[in-house]
Amino acid sequence: MNADPAKAEPQLQSALRRLCLAAAAFGLLLAALPFSRPVFAWLFPQLERPLYQQHDFLDLVLAHLGLVAASSACAVVIGVGAGIYVTRPSGSEFRKLAETLTAMGQTFPPVAVLALSVPVIGFGFWPAFGALVLYGILPICENTMAGLDGTPQAARQAGEGLGMSGRDVLTKIELPLAAPVIVAGIRTSVTINISTAAIASTVGAVSLGSPIIIGLNGNNTAYVLQGALLVTGLALVVDLGFEALMARLQRWKRG
Amino acid sequence: MISFRSITKSYDGLTVIRNLDLEIAKGEFCVLIGASGSGKSTILKMINRLVEHTSGEIRFAGAEIRSFRPEIIRRRMGYAIQSVGLFPHWTIEDNIATVPRLLGWDEARIDGRIGELLTLLDMDAARFRKAYPHQLSGGQQQRIGVARALAADPDVLLMDEPFGALDPITRDGLQTEIRRIHAETGKTIVFVTHDMDEALKLATRVVVLDKGEIVQAATPRDLLNAPANAFVRDFLGKDDYGLKLLLVERVGDHMRRGEISNGCGTISETDNLRNALSRLVTLKGDRLSVIDRAGQATGTLHLVDMVS
Repeated sequence: MNADPAKAEPQLQSALRRLCLAAAAFGLLLAALPFSRPVFAWLFPQLERPLYQQHDFLDLVLAHLGLVAASSACAVVIGVGAGIYVTRPSGSEFRKLAETLTAMGQTFPPVAVLALSVPVIGFGFWPAFGALVLYGILPICENTMAGLDGTPQAARQAGEGLGMSGRDVLTKIELPLAAPVIVAGIRTSVTINISTAAIASTVGAVSLGSPIIIGLNGNNTAYVLQGALLVTGLALVVDLGFEALMARLQRWKRG
Repeated sequence: MISFRSITKSYDGLTVIRNLDLEIAKGEFCVLIGASGSGKSTILKMINRLVEHTSGEIRFAGAEIRSFRPEIIRRRMGYAIQSVGLFPHWTIEDNIATVPRLLGWDEARIDGRIGELLTLLDMDAARFRKAYPHQLSGGQQQRIGVARALAADPDVLLMDEPFGALDPITRDGLQTEIRRIHAETGKTIVFVTHDMDEALKLATRVVVLDKGEIVQAATPRDLLNAPANAFVRDFLGKDDYGLKLLLVERVGDHMRRGEISNGCGTISETDNLRNALSRLVTLKGDRLSVIDRAGQATGTLHLVDMVS
C-alpha cells in the first residue's frame, strides 16, 4: 500500500518533463528558422530563394494552431455531447446510428472530406474549418461512447442508490472515469487535425501547410522541409501535452 | 417505519411481486430471504425507488414514498450492495463523504463523521483515509461500503446481499460487525440474502419469500421451531437443522453465570451456541469459560446445558 502522492506520480512527472523539453526545442526551432537562410542555401545550393518568406513562421504556427484549436473545440463539444446523449436512456434509439456513422466516417480519408467541402462552402478558412470539425467528431464520439460504457456498473448503481441525480452520476462518476478514454479520442482527433490542417492550404486556408504546398508547386524542397519540420514539431508537442494530461487523469490508479 | 400495502410489481405483464403486505418496524433487522427470482431484491429496491411498484402503496415514515423525490428518499436511506460499488477514482474518505456532501454538510462535520465511521468499522483511519479503493481487500472495501451507507446517519439501512461475494472468514467478521452496529445504533435494517445461516444469525425477523409472495415472516427461533410449510422446512435444511437451532441461541442465555472455570477455552457471551459447540469439538472439552466484551470471565458454558 502506498498513498504517498510524490511516489505515485513518476509517470506524470516524466511526461511533464518530456513536454517541457519538446516545447523548448520547438520554440528554439521557431526562433532559429528566420535566420536559417545560410543553412538551407548550403543544403539546397540550386535554389534561388531557399527560405520561405511569404509569411512569418510564427504567424503560420499561430494560424495553424488557431484552425486546429477552433475546429477541435467544436468537435469536442459535438462529439462528447453526442456520445453522452446516445448513452442516456433518452437518446439510446440513436445509439446504433451514431456507431454506424462514426465507424463509416473514419473509413473516409480526411483529404476527401476536405475536397468535398470546397464545392459546398467554397475556398478559404471555412471549408477547412468545416472539414476538420466533421472529421474530428468521429474518434471523439466513438471514444466517448466506449468510455462511458466502460465505467463500472456497480459504481453507477451505487451512485444512484445513494441519492445522486442523473447529472451527478454523469459528471462526478461516469465522465471522470471515462475521461482517459475520451481524452485518448480527442488526442487522435487533434493529431489528425494537425496534419489535415496542413493539407487545408490546398483549399486556401493559411497554415503550416502553406510553405509545403507552395514548395511542392514551385519545386522548392527547402520550403517543404521548413513547413514539414514545423508541423511535425507542433504535432509532437501537442501529443506530449496529451500524454501528460492522460497521466494526470489516471493518477488515482497508481500507488 | 416502512409498510408495504397490497404491493404488486409486474414487468411487461409478468408479475414478480403479488399483493404483498409487509410492515417493517423501527429498529427491526428484517432479513428478506429466498431463492433467485423470489423477488427479494425487487422488494428492497422498491423501498428507495430504484424500482417503481406497479400498484399498491409503500409508506415510509408515514408518507407514500412517491411523495418524495427519489434522490431525497435515497439520501435518507443507506444503501449497500454486493458489488460494493465504491467510486474507484475517489479516496476512501471522499467515498464515505458521498451522501453528507450531497446533503450539504460542512467539511468539519464530514471530517469528524468519517473518523467516527472508520472507528465504528474497525478501520485504521491514518492508513485508509487517503487510500484508493483498489488498494483495499474485498472485505475492507465492503466495510467502507457499509461506512458510506451509514455516513449521513440514515433512518434506514438497505443492504442487498452485501456479504455475498466475500470469503467465509471475512463474511463472518462482517456479520458480527453489522450485528454489533445494529445493537449499538438501533437502526432499521432491511437485508437481502439467499443464505439461511446468515439470515438466522442476523435477523430479528426473517421474511421467507417464494415466487413474489411471503411464505413466512417470523423471528429466527419461531421460524426454526414452527416452519410454516415444506418449502420453509426445505430451506432450513435437513442435515444441519440442529446446528441452525444452535445458531439462534446466545451463549449468555445458557451459561452458568458466576461459575468461573480455568484451563479451558473461552467464548464471548454474545456469541452463538454453534460457534461454542465448534470450539468445544476443536478443543475436545466439555466446558468453555465465558467472557464479556471487556474480556472479563463472567461464567462457564457446559456442553450439557447447550441442548437443554
